[in-house]
Amino acid sequence: MREIVNVKELNFSYGNKRVLKNLNLTIHQGEIVGLIGENGAGKTTLLNILLGLLPADQEIKVFEGKPGQKKARQKIGSMLQGDIVLANVTVTEMLHEAAAQYFRSKNVTELLQELNLQKQADQLLTNLSGGLQRRVTFALALIGNPELLFLDEPTVGMDAQARKMFWQRIQALRDLGKTIVITSHYLEEIQQTADRLFILQKGKFVFQGTFQELQNKDKRTIIHFKTKLAIKNFQKLTAVVAATQLEDWIDLVSDDGDATLRSLVPFLEEINNVSIQRESLENIFLKMTNRMETLA
Amino acid sequence: MKTFFEQFKFDAKRLLIRNFSFLFFSLLMPAGFYLLFTKIMISGTTAELSKLKLSYLGSMIIYSGIISAIFGIASLLKADRDEGFLCYLQLAPAKAKYYYGSLYLLIILVNLVAVLILQTLAVLLNSVKLDLYQVLFSILIVGIGQLPMVLLGTCLSYLKKQETLNVVSNLIVFPLAIVSGLWWPLSIMPTWIQKVGQVMPTFFANDLLSSVLLGNQIKTGNIIGITIWIIIGIAGVIVTLKLYHHRGWSFNA
Ligand SMILES: Nc1ncnc2c1ncn2[C@@H]1O[C@H](COP(=O)(O)OP(=O)(O)O)[C@@H](O)[C@H]1O
Ligand SMILES: [Mg+2]
Repeated sequence: MREIVNVKELNFSYGNKRVLKNLNLTIHQGEIVGLIGENGAGKTTLLNILLGLLPADQEIKVFEGKPGQKKARQKIGSMLQGDIVLANVTVTEMLHEAAAQYFRSKNVTELLQELNLQKQADQLLTNLSGGLQRRVTFALALIGNPELLFLDEPTVGMDAQARKMFWQRIQALRDLGKTIVITSHYLEEIQQTADRLFILQKGKFVFQGTFQELQNKDKRTIIHFKTKLAIKNFQKLTAVVAATQLEDWIDLVSDDGDATLRSLVPFLEEINNVSIQRESLENIFLKMTNRMETLA
Repeated sequence: MKTFFEQFKFDAKRLLIRNFSFLFFSLLMPAGFYLLFTKIMISGTTAELSKLKLSYLGSMIIYSGIISAIFGIASLLKADRDEGFLCYLQLAPAKAKYYYGSLYLLIILVNLVAVLILQTLAVLLNSVKLDLYQVLFSILIVGIGQLPMVLLGTCLSYLKKQETLNVVSNLIVFPLAIVSGLWWPLSIMPTWIQKVGQVMPTFFANDLLSSVLLGNQIKTGNIIGITIWIIIGIAGVIVTLKLYHHRGWSFNA
């Protein structure tokens, strides 16, 4: 797969404050990358460097050139963290203005339809709700028909329906082979859509890989079943860290689901209705960042 | 060219046609002052009066220029930058070059309109006589004489806070108008104010414009003065850009 973005040993400071520490990353064509991290982790700074808005001396390649080069600007669409809410401008006018900047821009009316913004077409930007302004910003990112998208907190302020539509559009863009980098606080959504996750913690990557790989790193599992046996039979099983009982139902919290399941085999005749629950990305993420907190 | 035209259409609509306060302060207010001062608040011999009607015409044209440069350029540029629009354009293939072109063209056009409105009022209501040479020369003088103010407005737009910009703008516009003799003749001021006033860019522009309107000899000193101020203005903009953009284009702090 063609490399679209390549970063080697990137460091960045605002004045004396070091914000990005020794980052290495590669993004391939057609990939959806989820960039996750707490507030202040450095996500926006990283995106702005890749866009060429912040200067960085380190070796960074975007479309085989330096960030912010003209050739790259033609192929990149972006949603920055804030919306552009100009006074006295309608949605359609704003999009026409943006479309005029690009060679291969999309048709404004069609794009408004695609994003279900036809009703807002002639409204002033200043009269839109925050969620709608965010959707117009998404339209501005797409207007130039880009190959690579940088989306910084794209769904902030959107209601559930708009958010659902947003992720459907991302899926459609994936089908068109676009490369997309998204940062978001909505980890559950990112987990469903991203091919790879980059987890940034205080300016360092603490994880890069698929959600599967992340889950495999965290083996914590909850095993839930029904049994007539007493709880003490299960408390000492391999890797069990906690066990709770409610009438006939038992919950085992395990640090290594596979190991615990193997040690459950002798009881198989006596237990039923087994369900197994893996950690959500949200929880893994929270644990990971907490661990970093306590180490720091 | 198409991109520039689109940009110009876009900016003219939002910044001018739908922006009443800008039109009011840069066009209507100077016109109102001109009528107020030449129709109601004056006295003197006929010869003095007709001279005043001409020199005051020049002053209000220059005054309109100050308003649109300081209140116009500075606050329009600042609003667009604060809103992230310039950052967006920075990411577009042509960056912001059409934007700046269209914004400055717009301000210059507003000034030309101010020249035409004020001169029309002078001719129709004050029976002032102007020939084509005077009209064309005043347009030229306004176009060039306003450049130092436009450059200063560009620098001011980088002030961080809107309130600071408001205060600084007011501290520049009104004192500058007074010390360069736009409101009252400079000769009634204390000597030290006259000395300060006589090196202001607006004084040079106003003096030049008066010469053209009153049919006097043009002084080279005024042309040199404006040229020096344009050079200072360009240097100021370069320094401001260096200071402001040395850490890039992103300001999410
Ligand atoms: N312009 C700036 N000047 C100084 N510090 C900044 C600036 N922008 C961000 N920071 C700091 O850099 C760190 C990373 O910020 P940011 O990239 O915005 O994080 P994120 O997008 O992950 O929330 C934070 O500690 C933030 O306070
Ligand atoms: Mg951010």
